Amino acid sequence: MPSHNNIIKNMIIELKKFGEILISRPSGREAYLAMAAYTTKDLGGDEIIEIDFSGIKVLTPSWADEVITPLAQKFKNLKLLNTENSSVQATLKTLREYSDLKI
Amino acid sequence: MENNLKNLAFEWMIAEPEKYQLASDYYCQTRDVFQARIDRLVANLLKEKRIREEDVYIISAMAGEIGNNSFDHNLGKWSDVTGIFFGYAISEKLEIILADRGQGIFATLKKVKPELQNDSAALETAFLERISGRAPERRGNGLKFVKENIKSQKMHLTFLSGNAKAELNDIMEITETEDPIIGCLAIITL
Repeated sequence: MPSHNNIIKNMIIELKKFGEILISRPSGREAYLAMAAYTTKDLGGDEIIEIDFSGIKVLTPSWADEVITPLAQKFKNLKLLNTENSSVQATLKTLREYSDLKI
Repeated sequence: MENNLKNLAFEWMIAEPEKYQLASDYYCQTRDVFQARIDRLVANLLKEKRIREEDVYIISAMAGEIGNNSFDHNLGKWSDVTGIFFGYAISEKLEIILADRGQGIFATLKKVKPELQNDSAALETAFLERISGRAPERRGNGLKFVKENIKSQKMHLTFLSGNAKAELNDIMEITETEDPIIGCLAIITL
């Protein structure tokens, strides 16, 4: 049985906490800076980070390029959850093609 | 209704600013106003249920990219009027119109690609090449996103800038127009 200290919980970032309709670069940059200050500040590059897209209605490459791209560069164990929304799917496809997103 | 909206957008683009008052329903002076109008567009389209839900999200993302491009690339350099025209109409088809009186694609991209010769070449570059109009910032994927989703979702886009007009659906065709415009005008049809 693992000790309490050995129980590792992944960091989950719920994007819906930044809004349902995420479209502009300035708001994406602001979201990333807030995450960097309050959520991911003390995490090492090997930590498992899960980005949860549930509840997102509209996502654009501009917003996501300010958030997902730098998170993927900083954390090598980044996982994307609940990406079924059509604009999320299309945005991730664009970032993989044009912003070198590897996940 | 659609033609009225198109006419309204064209009138706004060519009017002398001090003599023309655009209805506030269509004028987004700041990005915050535009964001609020996009939020309302999504809510209205979902409520009306005339467009498939997944299409509502995609078309709103495309409108968001095009509108925000106007703010991104004209910040501090609007030709005269700050902000954008944004309106939509729905009858048999959904039509979304966005316009700005900014620098236009040619002036924006010529700074990072000096060999560009004209508006048509600039439009082709904007839709096809991996290039950022705000280099050294790494940007420039917005219109590629729009182009790919116009094709995959069977929509239509007319995009004008300067004296160039791009028509996109399965293919992209760029022609020259007789009457150049200041800035950009985009019409998305579904």
